[in-house]
Amino acid sequence: MNIILEARDIRYHYPGSNEAIKGISFHIRKGEKIALVGPNGVGKSTLLQMFNGMIRPDSGLMLFDNKPICYDSAFLRQLRKRVGYVLQNSDRQIIAPTVYQDVAFGPANLGYDETLIREKVTLALRHVGLEGFERRPPHHLSGGEKKRVAIAGILAMDPDVLVFDEPTSDLDPSGSEDLMDLLDELNQEGKTVIISTHDVELAYPWADRVILLLDGKILQEDVPDVAFGNPENVRKAHLSVPTLLELSHELGRRGFVQPERKPRSILDMIHIIENLVIHSGATPKPGTISVCDVDIECYPPLLEWIASRQNLSIGAMGTRAKQRASQEQLTLEFTYGVIDKCILRALRGQDSLILTTSSMADRVIRRVEAYGRESGTSITVTPLNSSDQPLYPANL
Amino acid sequence: MIEINLDHIAQQSTFRHIHPGTKLFLALGSLIICLVSPSPVVPVVSGIVLSLILIIPGRLSPLHYAKILLGPAVFLIMSIIVLLFMHGGGDVIWQFPVFWINCSITTGAVRESILVLCRVFGCSVSLFFIVLTTPMTDLFNGMKQAHIPIELIDLMMIVYRFIFIFYSQTVEIWQAQVMRLGYRRPKEAIRSFSMLCGMLFISSWSAGEDLIHAMDCRCYNGVFPVLDQTEPVQMSSFIPVLVYLTGLCGILVLATQPVGAIL
Repeated sequence: MNIILEARDIRYHYPGSNEAIKGISFHIRKGEKIALVGPNGVGKSTLLQMFNGMIRPDSGLMLFDNKPICYDSAFLRQLRKRVGYVLQNSDRQIIAPTVYQDVAFGPANLGYDETLIREKVTLALRHVGLEGFERRPPHHLSGGEKKRVAIAGILAMDPDVLVFDEPTSDLDPSGSEDLMDLLDELNQEGKTVIISTHDVELAYPWADRVILLLDGKILQEDVPDVAFGNPENVRKAHLSVPTLLELSHELGRRGFVQPERKPRSILDMIHIIENLVIHSGATPKPGTISVCDVDIECYPPLLEWIASRQNLSIGAMGTRAKQRASQEQLTLEFTYGVIDKCILRALRGQDSLILTTSSMADRVIRRVEAYGRESGTSITVTPLNSSDQPLYPANL
Repeated sequence: MIEINLDHIAQQSTFRHIHPGTKLFLALGSLIICLVSPSPVVPVVSGIVLSLILIIPGRLSPLHYAKILLGPAVFLIMSIIVLLFMHGGGDVIWQFPVFWINCSITTGAVRESILVLCRVFGCSVSLFFIVLTTPMTDLFNGMKQAHIPIELIDLMMIVYRFIFIFYSQTVEIWQAQVMRLGYRRPKEAIRSFSMLCGMLFISSWSAGEDLIHAMDCRCYNGVFPVLDQTEPVQMSSFIPVLVYLTGLCGILVLATQPVGAIL
């Protein structure tokens, strides 16, 4: 994979204070999900601000797309278009008096014409699920909505890399889960996503790679289960070991053999536990998972299809799917971690339906199939509708 | 935490989606008619009609509306008292000496005061009509169409945006101080207030830095987008406004006729 961002021995100190970044080198590849994890005040935000040239290191080299970052206005402009930065405090990021104006701020300054700006704004607002909010002033929005406006403002510039400083710090738990889903969706569309956080439970299942920071230096840089698996480092960095990982360690210590790959989700954990327990009696025939793309018309109508099925659970991935569900007045059983929860359900022999958007529909199918290969159980996944074969689903 | 304020009412108004031009036409039209009217009848009629529009189809709480009107009323009453004694003409109604000055109220002064009272009422209601139905964001748009320098509008937009941030910050600091009994005695109150101002200054300074940061992050190049996404002028709202203003002009003409001159 291509390297998109690279740091070579970066050092920086704020005027009149000690060194905040003390020699950091790393690289980030295109399409990766990176979590910068560390306690408060270790230089996470400072480091993030170097990614789009807001802070210029005292020494060392930052490279973007294998080119060293020049700090002249033309280069920085190009860089900031391609590296979107979402501030921790969305109140500080939202500068315009209406949602539309704020989201249009980037595109307007990139010199797009009126129609293109409108198009970009509509698309960005659609992406974060805030259609119809154009004329609202930001002070009439909730914390989660403000965060979404801030993200839309960055998405409207269509960056390749998205940098989030403590994205979930002022959101409620369900808002955080929603946001992490959105980050996943963006990553699926090919964007590189970098977040800083001190929430290990959030970073552990989400990230491809974790960079542990301490005192302006990298403590460890690895896949999440290795990075968080070293209790010594975790303690040093004032963090805690993720519950799932700790559970797995604890099972290992009690003589239960643990697989090479550490559990990243409840699903993984259940799989491990089920393998440990000797199966008594016959396991139920796995249930099915149906996937409905909310962007495409569904025939027969979704509601009819749902009514024809008994004991069906519905989950929604992404904001648009959730909106559609509330329009159709469907009760959603799962709103986050949807795929895993549906697989868990299927393993118990029950059926479920996943509402999602086109970009994510394939991912659901791939994920379920991958699980099937790994675990040796076969779960049937059927698209209710898809762009190539939009009509009757196979199982009706 | 934003309390119910004028901006909030405007955002929620039933007339929010009427073209701001139509609303401005109505408000400014009735304002001018109220001002030129030599008779108190016209401003009273205009004030009552616009108030009723705000309260009945506009679903504004009458209590709330009364509270809003109370603001100008305080100033008005003070000015009217002065006016009563300042003006002359006509017969003396009441007279009394204060030290060596002879204070008197004449019929001319009463007539003049009633006219001023009614005019202020009519004009205030006209202005409140705009304030309570048209959010600032729509007015920015109107300003741009009126060719007010764009730099000024940009600045106003940023100021408008930050008023609410600083307001909520002020409330937070103030609450933190009150919780720790910061305003119990006058001396403490002065100290607490100065601390509040200092804190607010520091936080606005850092907010200013963040603002530049946020603008730079999005390639700020001197362009502040405007939302000219207003609905077109609808005849269904424009014609009633036109009819109303014509009616008001009619009352004005009638009221200035010698026969119609009530006072």
